[in-house]
Amino acid sequence: MDKSKFSHWFFIGPHIILFVVFILIPSIYGVYASFTNWNLMTSPTWVGLDNYRTILTNQDSSFHHEFFNGMKNTLIFVGVSVPLMVAIPLVIASAIEHKKVKFKNFFQSIIYIPGLISISAAALIWSLIFNSQLGMMNNFFGADTVWTATQPYAWMTIFIMTVWGGIGGNMIIYRASISNVSQDLYESAEIDGAGPIRKFISVTLPSIRFPLIYTVVMTTAGAFNVFGQPLMMTDGGPRESTTVLMMYIRDLAFGSGQSIAGMASAMAVLLGMVILIISAAQYYVMNRNSA
Amino acid sequence: MKKRLAFLIVAVTTLLLTGCGGNENVIEFWTPLTGEDGAYMDQLVEDYNDTDPEHPVNHVITSDLYTQIYTVLQSGSGIPDLTLIHADRVPSFVNNDLLVPMDDIISQQPELNEDNYLPEAWTAGIIDDVQYTIPLDIHGSAMYYNIDLLEQYDVMDWLDDDVVTFDEMLELEGQLEEGHYVVNDALLGWVALAQLQNVGGDIEGADGEPTVDTDEMREVIRYLREINKAGLMTPYGEDGYLMFQSGNVLFSTDGTWSRLAHEQVESLNFGVTNTYSHSAEVFHNRSSAHLFSMLRSEERTPEKEEGIGEFLEYIREHSIEWAEAGQIVASREVVEDPEYDQFMQSFYTQDERHEDSLYIYTYEHYPYVAEAIDNYIADIVHGEMDVDEGLHEMQRFVNDRVAEGDAELEDAADAVEDFDDDVDTNE
Repeated sequence: MDKSKFSHWFFIGPHIILFVVFILIPSIYGVYASFTNWNLMTSPTWVGLDNYRTILTNQDSSFHHEFFNGMKNTLIFVGVSVPLMVAIPLVIASAIEHKKVKFKNFFQSIIYIPGLISISAAALIWSLIFNSQLGMMNNFFGADTVWTATQPYAWMTIFIMTVWGGIGGNMIIYRASISNVSQDLYESAEIDGAGPIRKFISVTLPSIRFPLIYTVVMTTAGAFNVFGQPLMMTDGGPRESTTVLMMYIRDLAFGSGQSIAGMASAMAVLLGMVILIISAAQYYVMNRNSA
Repeated sequence: MKKRLAFLIVAVTTLLLTGCGGNENVIEFWTPLTGEDGAYMDQLVEDYNDTDPEHPVNHVITSDLYTQIYTVLQSGSGIPDLTLIHADRVPSFVNNDLLVPMDDIISQQPELNEDNYLPEAWTAGIIDDVQYTIPLDIHGSAMYYNIDLLEQYDVMDWLDDDVVTFDEMLELEGQLEEGHYVVNDALLGWVALAQLQNVGGDIEGADGEPTVDTDEMREVIRYLREINKAGLMTPYGEDGYLMFQSGNVLFSTDGTWSRLAHEQVESLNFGVTNTYSHSAEVFHNRSSAHLFSMLRSEERTPEKEEGIGEFLEYIREHSIEWAEAGQIVASREVVEDPEYDQFMQSFYTQDERHEDSLYIYTYEHYPYVAEAIDNYIADIVHGEMDVDEGLHEMQRFVNDRVAEGDAELEDAADAVEDFDDDVDTNE
């Protein structure tokens, strides 16, 4: 028996098994469930496109309202948080990589460590900071705002917490990429009279094109799946203005009362399609422009 | 080399399979008790296991009990022998044929009968005259008061008849120091559901349909808005629970279990009374109950069922420990034990009038109604949302969810009918 013929399966096999069991089969079943009426207790009943029709076209339905409100709030989160989660780490990484900056690893650790804290624990910390009675924000600055119940502050608390906990990972990637950019390029640019901003735009950014595309696509996909931050900080309020789609999906499938898993699956499939289309578009646009 | 590898594989597989197995005699008992109450239940189970029963109990706390239940029911294996579920889940579980009646256990343990439990808790498990559960406790709304603040504002007499009324609360309009409030909005949804009973409303219509957008609910909201408008309720979005603990609120409408947390606050001098009402004559405390139940499972043997009966009888006799968790124990023997009087929640079982105030909603679609109310009530009461719009949204929220469930049941019934037709044709 030719051992080498099968050896690669030993390396890739465990991952394939985990992928099939925990990702592929549940995903396929999730798509199937979106065409059914299912309460998780009895067998799913095939309803064809009914769930999609209700969500997308029946304006009298609460599911229609929930989907579009959830999608709108999710898009707000994505639209604001993704640029912040890309730009801030990029600027920090560039700053840390500057040759005059000392204690590079110390600063990197300070920024990276919040990402290791669970969302629940982080939300507790930030909830207390923004607590109108006990919180630092109101007591230090003399404000009397109920941050999590007033817009736009409710969104602000969510974004602050997200950026605080989320920039470390991207920053590490950018820093590693920037440190690999040849110094010759910077020196040549300097000889040509380029200042720091010109060097950043014309040398650094094109040189880290692939890590940039990767982080933008992954951060966007992650942002679409936001759940913990609004749940813990604002519980979707005030007046459902921070209730994101994942919160509605979870409530429908695993909330109180009988599960409405078919409708929840249909919403999840639609969300998945939006993520897929936007990620593909981002990849295409960024790859084409930088090619 | 090959032999060693084969031995290693066999050893690992054996270990894994052993891990999957478990003792057949053990009663697997699942609960959603993720808070401090889980530790008290652990202690009760440990005490029971120390009696060396033939069927010891393994207490498993799961944060997402109902999701876990659906998962094991779908897979058909690993179904727990005993579960602790909430009263509002019983109707839908029974309608979907997920629960086994407690008849056999009751016949084996004659003390597990209606007379030995608080009636509200016992009847919460009855559907169509069949007993599906044995109660552990009632846990519900409780209204705590700050004794120091009541004395400061000279309103201790509000407590004389055990019911604080809206009119009494309104007496303090314009009288409070800055930063002080009469009542918070903690568990406001539960308060609204208690008020709904006070004004004679209900969440179930004559034909079994859910009713939220009703005149009675409008009246409830009017009362609550009046308190808010008078500046007596903690502001929108504030943590009213925390404000009570920090000594700024006279009354806190939270749960019986909150006593444990309030006791941790050294400076808080507090007591407990009934949820406020529009009249001292009519009052309710919206409640739920933890109920022991058995999910339908082919793996549960009659011997194990016997063991479950013995465990439930032990709990009935020894659940004074459970009172430590802040719950109103359902066992009559425990409630009537003088030792139980030391617990604050004994207030709610001091006489029949108070026992009757513990109202458990057992309407099949109650969870949807409660969710709708929880989602919108604070916005409506604090004036962030128009009353008509809010009630309309709540009603739509519930109607759409109920319609989904009904459609599924109809489909299931059609499927059964089709199957029967096929069988008839083949015959």
